[in-house]
Amino acid sequence: MAGIELLSDQGFRADGRRPHELRKIRCRMGVFRQADGSAYIEQGNTKVLATVYGPHEITGGRSKALHDKVLLNCQYSMATFSTGERKTRPKGDRRSQEMSMNLRRTFQAAILTHLYPRSQIDIYVQVLQSDGGNYCACVNAATLAVIDAGIPMRDYVCACTSSLLEDTPVVDISYLEESVGSPEMVVALLPKSEQIVLFQQNSRLHVDNLEKVLDMGIKGCTDVYGILDQSVREHVTEVSNLMMST
Amino acid sequence: MLFLDWECNCDIIQFILLLGDRLGRCEHYASGNGTYVRQQCIYSSLAGFVHEQENDDKLPILNVTREEQHTVIPEVGSIVTAKVTNINPRFCKCTILCVEDSPLKDKFRGMIRKDDVRATEKDRIEMYKCFRPGDIILAKVLSLGDAQSYLLTTAENEFGVVLAESEAGVNMVPISWCEMQCPKTNIIEFRKVAKVQPQHILTS
Repeated sequence: MAGIELLSDQGFRADGRRPHELRKIRCRMGVFRQADGSAYIEQGNTKVLATVYGPHEITGGRSKALHDKVLLNCQYSMATFSTGERKTRPKGDRRSQEMSMNLRRTFQAAILTHLYPRSQIDIYVQVLQSDGGNYCACVNAATLAVIDAGIPMRDYVCACTSSLLEDTPVVDISYLEESVGSPEMVVALLPKSEQIVLFQQNSRLHVDNLEKVLDMGIKGCTDVYGILDQSVREHVTEVSNLMMST
Repeated sequence: MLFLDWECNCDIIQFILLLGDRLGRCEHYASGNGTYVRQQCIYSSLAGFVHEQENDDKLPILNVTREEQHTVIPEVGSIVTAKVTNINPRFCKCTILCVEDSPLKDKFRGMIRKDDVRATEKDRIEMYKCFRPGDIILAKVLSLGDAQSYLLTTAENEFGVVLAESEAGVNMVPISWCEMQCPKTNIIEFRKVAKVQPQHILTS
């Protein structure tokens, strides 16, 4: 067989995971003192740093101010060293702009925007190392950063990718699995209300397979939620203990 | 009935709430800070701790608070502390520093129109005799104004200048509702002075 075997006969993927398994997720909140909220997340070899500033007065053209809700400013960028081939333009290209727009739409659905009229919240995410599932890692990191900033949200926003490898639905795909050209599906979910806030697909997928791939993505989001929830719980406990001791 | 996640630390039981945790139903509680209502249920919108606040003859209010300082922004009716930055005959511009007791991380712009300086004799108001750049004032948010700035008012006795420096660089002392005096040079300057309420006076 030519090339890398993406799914073995025993049902293992190239990196040794089962189809339903996520990559190892490690996350930390409050990594920056200067920002109102910050978080760092590792999903396998994908590493993302997110910072949140605000709510603050609208910067730049104040004509952008919304009288009834907050203005969300999201910026996605990739470090020049994040990929194997050095990036010449880490932000501002079409892909980054699209990612930024998707981030804004995703968080507009989760943040209680009506609480901060005529204000602005800035969410900056930077991919430090890219190994597939960049958008999902960015959403998860930004969620933790927004929580750290104390900005009220309806629910967590958890995102996960899913795909179809040799008629088997798989979750949380890596760069290797992405680059094969199999259909990739990105799902962002509010886990407690089970509302999908973003659903994106980058190539054709037969309608018969749609439901099982989507279910796999939703299950992945639920698993991510469990990890993020635990991380936030530990952070809140740590902060409260610190406050008590001082 | 409260539906709470709890965790035990240092022999103290604390109710640690996370986003989207259900706190109770609208029949039993009212939604307060750090919460929101969906389908007749109250949910947490912050990661923090729940507090039940008694409300006279009404439903108790559920608030979720964080250990760290929560972000606030000026709202209509809020009492704000501001610093005057710019004056002209029609209005004065200022920077909002605090909302109620909470200092702002980021400054917001405010504006006091000539008509909103005091409640009486509005036609005889001279802006330069009411405020000067650098004065610290207490004001109330009148409305959200235009896209530029919040509209503030000092048209009550409790609002106006609370701290002002004389030309000699010394904090002046109020001697009437419209005058302040420099303790160093005894020069009297005009200001729209705030009548500081007794409960706000700090005694060392």
